[in-house]
Amino acid sequence: MSTNLMPDDRRHLAMRLSALQYLVAVAFAALAVGFWVFQVAQHQKFAEMAENNHLRRLPLPAPRGVLLDRNGKVLVENKDIFNIALVREQTKNLDATLQTLAAATGVAEAQLRETVERRRREPSYRPIVLIENATPEQYIAVRARQWELPGIFGQVVPSRRYPEATAAHLFGYVSEITEAQLQKAEYDGAEPGEIVGQAGLEQAYNRLLMGTEGNRTVIVNSVGREISTLDSQSKPPVEGRAVQLTIDAEVQKATEDGFTIAGLNGAAVVLDPRNGEVLSFTSRPAYDPNAFAGGIDRATWASLNTDELRPLQNRALQGRYSPGSTFKMAVGLAGLEENVVNPDFKVFCAGGATFYGRRFACHKKEGHGWVDLRHAIEQSCDVYFYTVGNMLGVDRIHKWATLFGLGVKSNIDLPNEVQGLVPSTEWKAKYTKEKKWYAGETISVAIGQGQVSVTPVSLAVYAATLGNGGTRVTPHLIKAVNEGKGWTPVPAPPPQSKVDVTPEKLAAIRDGMWMVVNAGGTGRRAQIPGHDVCGKTGTAQVISNQGRLAAAKSGRNLRDHGWFVFFAPRDNPEIAGVVFVEHGVHSANAAQITRHILNTYFAKKDGNPLPPPPTREEMRLDFSDRFARGAEGGQ
Amino acid sequence: MFERRLFFHVDWLLLGAVLLLTGIGVAMIYSTTYVTLSNGAGHPGPQVWTQMYALAIGMVALVICLMIDYRMFAEHSLMLFGGLVVLLIFVLVKGSTQMGAQRWIPIGPFNLQPSEFGRLTVALLLAMVFGENRRGARNTSDLIIGGLFTGVPLLLIAKQPDLGTAVTLIPVFLGVAYLAGLRLRLLGVLALAGLMIAPVAWKFALKDYQRQRIETFLDPEKDPRGAGYQTIQARVTVGSGGLTGKGFRQGTQGQYKFLPVAHNDFIFSVLAEEQGFIGVLVALGLYLFVILRSIEAARWEASFRGLRSR
Repeated sequence: MSTNLMPDDRRHLAMRLSALQYLVAVAFAALAVGFWVFQVAQHQKFAEMAENNHLRRLPLPAPRGVLLDRNGKVLVENKDIFNIALVREQTKNLDATLQTLAAATGVAEAQLRETVERRRREPSYRPIVLIENATPEQYIAVRARQWELPGIFGQVVPSRRYPEATAAHLFGYVSEITEAQLQKAEYDGAEPGEIVGQAGLEQAYNRLLMGTEGNRTVIVNSVGREISTLDSQSKPPVEGRAVQLTIDAEVQKATEDGFTIAGLNGAAVVLDPRNGEVLSFTSRPAYDPNAFAGGIDRATWASLNTDELRPLQNRALQGRYSPGSTFKMAVGLAGLEENVVNPDFKVFCAGGATFYGRRFACHKKEGHGWVDLRHAIEQSCDVYFYTVGNMLGVDRIHKWATLFGLGVKSNIDLPNEVQGLVPSTEWKAKYTKEKKWYAGETISVAIGQGQVSVTPVSLAVYAATLGNGGTRVTPHLIKAVNEGKGWTPVPAPPPQSKVDVTPEKLAAIRDGMWMVVNAGGTGRRAQIPGHDVCGKTGTAQVISNQGRLAAAKSGRNLRDHGWFVFFAPRDNPEIAGVVFVEHGVHSANAAQITRHILNTYFAKKDGNPLPPPPTREEMRLDFSDRFARGAEGGQ
Repeated sequence: MFERRLFFHVDWLLLGAVLLLTGIGVAMIYSTTYVTLSNGAGHPGPQVWTQMYALAIGMVALVICLMIDYRMFAEHSLMLFGGLVVLLIFVLVKGSTQMGAQRWIPIGPFNLQPSEFGRLTVALLLAMVFGENRRGARNTSDLIIGGLFTGVPLLLIAKQPDLGTAVTLIPVFLGVAYLAGLRLRLLGVLALAGLMIAPVAWKFALKDYQRQRIETFLDPEKDPRGAGYQTIQARVTVGSGGLTGKGFRQGTQGQYKFLPVAHNDFIFSVLAEEQGFIGVLVALGLYLFVILRSIEAARWEASFRGLRSR
């Protein structure tokens, strides 16, 4: 290159400078476009991310609705408990945090980890409750080591408080909503971690009771410290509805006391036969619903599930037992209403009778002699009902038993009711292999044995229907709901069915039941002077006597169950029900528990002081096991 | 050497733009470091005062530089370069170690970071080397000499280690070489060589943490809670600003420290968050103006004095 090219050089530089300027301009344009993409095109996304950073919606659990008894006594309420919760987003090292927390509180690290693992799909800013119902010591330990535990904080939440040892199966229990429940429509709107009813009334009326979770929206900084509360975005929780139950706390307590003092398991349902209101509802053995309220620990849950006595089973709704002699009124009523017999129809009981070539024994070996319907009920004469049952045939028994509530669901407003069974030829043809009904089978059915099975609640409805003259009331537990503006009565559900029974015919049945209690019958223990109690005992064999010999060594409890169904007073009854004593051997023991229930009810009604719970001696329990008994026959 | 005329030929627009940018910077630092006390009162963070002091020092330096003809620096650039290399070696031997790197020389209350003078010194020296009384397009030997003058401080700085500052010397070298008339073909070859060396350098020259840093820069989701956190939060900060921004002192990302040390290298994110895309355009516009105006100044300088006046 030579010197005369110098101006070129200058042009060269000018060109290169211009090129550089363009390059810079283009680069800045690209930068501007980049900012446009972030700030305008994707603004929504980043704005949300920024909001998730500094806005924290802390759930405020709603207290569940209070449950009151029919007189306004509080049965189930709420108390505040401490929970220790984790916000994963705020932890730096989750493993170390859990380890420190485990050491501080004495809770197994594996358990904490499992809880976190189970909820890992939830947004990381939503608190996970790690320790429910923490002890004050645990709470203090966590507070003391707050700086080592980023993301761990304590929350005060309302928790369910149940009365001691009362009506566990009635109330049910609550616990954290399950994954499966979250998918269901009936839990629409519920958030993970919310507390919902899992059994009993808590489950049946969860919608009413659960209220609406609120939240407090706070501004937090990067280490999770709250800067301030955003009132405009916060929402207070709405407490669940207060619900008034039909339950009478005193009658309920009397029922529970009866079982406790007698040391027996079983079930009892007491109704108002005029409308189906449930006055008391018991299943024994029970569990402590309080154990669930603050999150049940694994050992307790396991033992509840493996306990041979099955405390979680609601026997009143889910236990199916043969009704034994309590079934006899259904057979007698069927005979009367189908005009097969009249109340004066007599049968000679010689301690047993032969039907279709097979001998059926009466529970009284020496026989009752000539008995009419009233005395047959009073004495619980098996031969009488064998005879009437044989004349009726199984289908007419089925018809009347069903009309009075047996073998069908009561449709009580509690979840998971089980249906009993009163056989019929149709049932046998449809559901059994054998298909054909043999007339001989009817004989056993006539005294409530054979294939007949009932739940305690259905027997209570049966007693109520006998008492009110044919209206199969629907047992129910809710009397009124407080929507926040005073009590709104909840109308009683309509009866399941209604049949007009000829009054004279029903009177004969009631007479027999009155004699059971007030004359020479088997239910004298339930006698209450001045209140005309009507009742009927029944025995449900757990196993035949022959089978029992064979199984004697197995160690299982094979003693008979005892029943007592009742209503009172005889005319226009206002209380009816059933007491079932599991392996209680004698129905007299059930009648004894009934006695305390009725004593309490009538004392309250008459304005007298409530009777004290009877002593065990006063109950005169009878556990003598009459092992060698006739092959069939109930008392 | 004392050019009185310069006072009257100051490019006030350029100076104004620079001061405006500085002012925006101080305002943003004020905004994001503001501490609100529980009684409602508050005060800006101490970083605002640091920045103000720095501004004052900068203004003094500006005046001094105006008084001295910059060509004097170019003339003495070799000496300056020598001083730089000495300081860089000194730092490697005796410098104070902070945050795992040996970059600083403590002088009283200050920390002198010699590498900060690297770009300026290298630029001056390269300008001298390429601007030597030589003609025509620069050739390979110029490239090698220039490369050596760039490479020595680059390696010294990279050794601290401060790779980030070290690599900023490369565009300085390329920029000066380009304007000095380096053949574009040579630049192309250089770029090609760089491309070919890159994978080798990736594999052998870089340490694990350096590779990781580049990886998380390219894909911050790889380690969102660790190395990628700052990048992700910076994006959130910028993106959440929207068109008009959240308003002065209303930013949440910087205010609540989701974007750590926002007042430092990430102050532009704070501007983007609080003043939105509009604020960003204003700032970008000012920067663009400053750069174009500076290049324009080079053009005037060249045409005014003639490229080969010396």
